[in-house]
Amino acid sequence: MTKISQAGPAIALAGVNLALGQGAARVHILKDIDLDIGTGEAVGLVGPSGSGKSTLLMVMAGLERANTGTVAVAGEDLSGFNEDALARFRGRHVGIVFQSFHLIPTMTALENVAVPLELAGLNDAQTRAREELAAVGLGDRLHHYPAQLSGGEQQRVALARALVPNPAIVVADEPTGNLDEETGQQIIELLFAGHARRGTTLVLVTHDVALAARCARVVRLRSGRIDGVSES
Amino acid sequence: MSVTAATAPNGRWLPLRFAWRELRGGLHGFYVFVACIALGSLAIAGVGSVAASLATGLARQGQVILGGDLSFTLVQREASSQELAFMQSRGSVSSAATLRAMARTAAGQATLVEMKAVDAAYPLFGNVVLDPPGPLSAALAQRDGAFGAVADPTLLTRLHLKPGARVTIGNATFEIRAALSNEPDKLAGGIGFGPRLMVSEAALRATGLLQPGSLVRWHYRLRLPANDTTDAYANAAMTQARERFPQAGWDIRTRSKASPRLERSVERFTQFLTIVGLTALLVGGVGVGNAVKSHLDRRRDVIATMKALGATGRRVFAIYLTQVLLLALVGGVIGMMLGAALPYVVSWGLGPIIPLPIEPAVHLSELALALVYGLLTALAFALWPLGRAHDVPVGALFRDAVAPQPRWPRKIYMALTAAAVVALATLAVLLAYDRRVAVIYVGTAAAVFVLLRLVAALLMFLARHAPHARSTSLRMAVANIHRPGALTPTIVLSLGLGIALLVTVIEIDGNLRQQFSAELPAKAPSFYFLDIPSGEAQRFDAFVHAQAPAAKLEEVPMLRGRIISAHGTPAENLQPKDDAWVLQGDRGLTFANEVPRGSRVVEGRWWPPDYDGPPLVSFEKHIADNLGLKLGNPVVVNVLGRNITARIANMRNVDWQSLSINFVMVFSPNSFRGAPHTRLATLTYPNGGTPAQEGALIGALAKTFPRITSVRVKEALEAIGAIVANLVLAIDGASAVTLLAAALVLGGALAAGHRHRVYDAVILKTLGATRARLIGAYAIEYLLLGAATALFGVLSGSLAGWLIVSQLMHLRFAWLPWPALAAALGAVAVTVALGLIGTFSALGQKPASVLRNL
Repeated sequence: MTKISQAGPAIALAGVNLALGQGAARVHILKDIDLDIGTGEAVGLVGPSGSGKSTLLMVMAGLERANTGTVAVAGEDLSGFNEDALARFRGRHVGIVFQSFHLIPTMTALENVAVPLELAGLNDAQTRAREELAAVGLGDRLHHYPAQLSGGEQQRVALARALVPNPAIVVADEPTGNLDEETGQQIIELLFAGHARRGTTLVLVTHDVALAARCARVVRLRSGRIDGVSES
Repeated sequence: MSVTAATAPNGRWLPLRFAWRELRGGLHGFYVFVACIALGSLAIAGVGSVAASLATGLARQGQVILGGDLSFTLVQREASSQELAFMQSRGSVSSAATLRAMARTAAGQATLVEMKAVDAAYPLFGNVVLDPPGPLSAALAQRDGAFGAVADPTLLTRLHLKPGARVTIGNATFEIRAALSNEPDKLAGGIGFGPRLMVSEAALRATGLLQPGSLVRWHYRLRLPANDTTDAYANAAMTQARERFPQAGWDIRTRSKASPRLERSVERFTQFLTIVGLTALLVGGVGVGNAVKSHLDRRRDVIATMKALGATGRRVFAIYLTQVLLLALVGGVIGMMLGAALPYVVSWGLGPIIPLPIEPAVHLSELALALVYGLLTALAFALWPLGRAHDVPVGALFRDAVAPQPRWPRKIYMALTAAAVVALATLAVLLAYDRRVAVIYVGTAAAVFVLLRLVAALLMFLARHAPHARSTSLRMAVANIHRPGALTPTIVLSLGLGIALLVTVIEIDGNLRQQFSAELPAKAPSFYFLDIPSGEAQRFDAFVHAQAPAAKLEEVPMLRGRIISAHGTPAENLQPKDDAWVLQGDRGLTFANEVPRGSRVVEGRWWPPDYDGPPLVSFEKHIADNLGLKLGNPVVVNVLGRNITARIANMRNVDWQSLSINFVMVFSPNSFRGAPHTRLATLTYPNGGTPAQEGALIGALAKTFPRITSVRVKEALEAIGAIVANLVLAIDGASAVTLLAAALVLGGALAAGHRHRVYDAVILKTLGATRARLIGAYAIEYLLLGAATALFGVLSGSLAGWLIVSQLMHLRFAWLPWPALAAALGAVAVTVALGLIGTFSALGQKPASVLRNL
């Protein structure tokens, strides 16, 4: 494991290429990506379907491994990490919010939020999860199962789960894609409030131009390449 | 506070905590898993518990079964005064004599009885129960010109007698005073060819049946003195008897080994049933594997989510392994509890039918073993799919991610799977009564699994390369067989195992029933005549020819003798792999000038008719091999107290199932020159013999030759058939558990595919497929799969049946094609029906409601 620099950018990608599949089915998804995201910065990733924005997000979150290039996140070079080291890294440094929430259906809201803390071996997991749920307005829904919650409530639980370990980086893949406009708006407010309050680096994949505009910087992708970067 | 700042070692219980969270909502999706392990564990625990209860019964009731603390049995002679004095010096003695005899009624009916003459001290242990009740001594006393007798109820039924009726045996007349409801030492005597008739010793002597050469066994039972009843004392008395009277030729047993042959039979049969139980577990294991795979498929998103949140692959594996172990524990405990109850059920329900001393108890070691088997089976079948969970890609959570899952788990999980399989096989082999059989079983089971995988692969290959069918339904059906995620491997495995097992059981069952039913082989004799005195042989021949002129009478000389040593090794030191009975006690011997009918010399040469050299013997090849004997080896036999050494001149293969007279050892005639002997004869009717013919002859013979014993082959086979029927019942019971497991696995496999079926059906309906066309396609698919698998099942089941019947049971195997095919067709029909039931509900789905949730 190579320590890069605590003082450098929160995410630093250099010459990243990624292809999936084999033989004729091999698809070159990310091509020569160079991108630095500063600590505490909010960046929106936009682009048409299939442009590679979700894959780029996965590479940043240590969920997908680049074929070439270097990926440094929270001061650590991920290229030398094996699968287990990446999992532990995510647990410590990265919070993830999915479009489809991906709550564990057999666990209550409280247990879902406590999962990353429990995986990290913390004793006060339940207490902290309870506080985080209260912070997203679900203090009275602690013992409900996902199936007993509305879509918005489920995404709030997912948000609490992403934020509870106080990660340095939060990545969100179209977090409002499965929600109505009003509920989506509430989630976005919570997401940005958490970002502002904790100084977390936020990377957001979205189709919504207005939402992307709330980020300090917007990176446009097309056919796996960075097509442009604009500052808000 | 960030997670990096805190450390706490509570991660050790995390897999248990997470596994519990998933299971607390109920066992939904795991019913087949739990039922499979429960059924397998039930079979193992049940068989083990019943066998242990029986062993306990045999051990605890050793004195009663044996009739004493020690038993000395002599054949054809009573104990000498010195021998009797020795026995009396070690404890109180009771004597009894047993022999076969013919009982005749005044109406001229006759039947074979197993006569037992007892003294006043009988029984030393246990109780004789009579109906109507009364003391035995009174029932056997001489009164009104007749000796008293008590009889097995079967005898009363067979001769249509009631207490008070009279029968004649030899020269004595008996009044049957009561039915014999319980004879405490009956088990030690083994299987009798006729019903018991108990009389006094004086009465036996009055019959005139005690002649030189009569096949009478004298049993002397000892009750040890009250101040020294230890096993050590009993064993010491046995050793002293052997040392003091080395030539006595008696069979000595102590209460701790009251019935070694029965114990061996119980152990052997227990092993057979354990194998059936293991098969239930293996079949169940397939269900476990399917359930785990299907569960993990459903949980892919959850697994990916956990990994996204920081769970390592190993931790994911640990969580789901814990879950599998918890479920296996639930199934195992259910099976253990049911298995523990089985001895009580058997004792209560079958006690009156099976005359075995079952002492029901909870046998923790047997139950624990069943649990271990259950857990190991769950591991052997679950570790592979669990290992694949390690590498569930997190990319599955992102809709546009393409990340196929690897086909093989990591090497460590393959190694763990192999370790569980090896542990399971080792346990099965190490604990087996006959390890050779266990090794064959393990090998066969492994081969069947591999073959079924190959059959599935072949089917998928053929479907992939089948010519383009014109019929849409047929095309869809063929495509369903080979498409990715097809049910073919799981259905072929579960259905194939089920059919193979069903056919195996049907073949064993059918062959056993056929061989022990009254259906005799062509040219089988109707009668065996025992104890024909040499001096009466001519008169007997003439009488039988007059009574049954068309029937064929064959006679051979017969002596009783026991093997003292073979190839210089004393009989007690010989350790045969099988056929130890040859060395136990007296056996029938004969001598002949020619090769006996029904046997064939396969090694060496038969002696010339006028041979007059040193004694020679012809040995049955299979038994000689088991005893490690070769041509030219010396064999010492003791006949009427004289040791005779003969060299093995040749080996014969004997067709025992022809039921014609044959012996393990046939000597050259000069070996026993001058020795008194009786003759053994068979009588064969050209038409097989009618009951009227046989009844008339047996009645006439019993009257004219009261000392000659006539064994009606049909009655003897019926007696054995009744016992075989009980054994078949036990086999059927254990197999039913296995078949139930197979049906569950099949149902589970079909249910696992249900989600995909609904999806397919909805998409196809959306695209214009009618329900009839879909049903047609699914029916053809199940039919094709079922038919191909049934073919394999019938072939492999028949092969297994042949192996068990001919190689393990040493019986003649006749393939029974129609029951096997009927069973296979039935199984295919069940598969198609089960599959279509699932499909019907899929077809009933409204496309819109499903599409909204896709």
